[in-house]
Amino acid sequence: MDDELSVKIEVPAEIILLRPLDHFVRILLGQLPAFSGREQLINNIELAFDEAFTNIQRHAYRSQHKGPVTIEIKVGPHSLEFRFEDQGQSFDPSSVQPPDLDQPAEGGLGIWLMRQVMDEFHYHSEADGKNVLRLIKRFPQHDGDSA
Amino acid sequence: MKIEERDGITIITTDERLDAVVAPQLKEAVSKLAEQAETKLVIDLEHTRFIDSSGCGALVASLRAIIKSNGDMKIANPSPQAKTLFQLTRLHRVFEIFDDMDAAVKSFTSS
Repeated sequence: MDDELSVKIEVPAEIILLRPLDHFVRILLGQLPAFSGREQLINNIELAFDEAFTNIQRHAYRSQHKGPVTIEIKVGPHSLEFRFEDQGQSFDPSSVQPPDLDQPAEGGLGIWLMRQVMDEFHYHSEADGKNVLRLIKRFPQHDGDSA
Repeated sequence: MKIEERDGITIITTDERLDAVVAPQLKEAVSKLAEQAETKLVIDLEHTRFIDSSGCGALVASLRAIIKSNGDMKIANPSPQAKTLFQLTRLHRVFEIFDDMDAAVKSFTSS
């Protein structure tokens, strides 16, 4: 990715930060020419970001230990990438079953939704205990609001 | 989040976002309403621009609680983002969704 813009922040995994962070992402994207007139694309990317942060807060840190989350946002001419790093409990994405949409449940949609609205989902744990989630969205090439 | 009663129908108006921050409050509020049998409930999403999976989960939990006590729940005024999410998750087949509040309220008397 030829980066046009790169932002890196570290925050504690506090649910009270979810809205300010989502808002930051939304406002940022809204100012970039690639997202002009693409409200649905912005909505989907905001949703993926929201689900990723919520998952880290709720599952990696189990809503208790407010450990660090490093968030990197890279926006290039053709794509956007989120990179989340946490030091909490890891998981095996391949063990997460897709939801049965004919039997709606009260939870278990987060990872599936991230995969649905983004083009790439990568997750791995490193030897030092760091978990890394990368979400990539390539921008549609045609005009109009497509997600 | 605002809760009011109008002509025997309880209306919960959610705020700008229905997300992981507020989902537990919605579930708790509806759980209390469901203590009374046959509650007629409309969740008004008019002011809600954004819903995430936690919000969807709270709506599913709310519907279950209300149905369990022989009540019924409708959803009114979904935003474009909410409509897209309901279709993606197929929740549009689970919830009774109306584009305006009047239609949602009238649906209780016509059913």
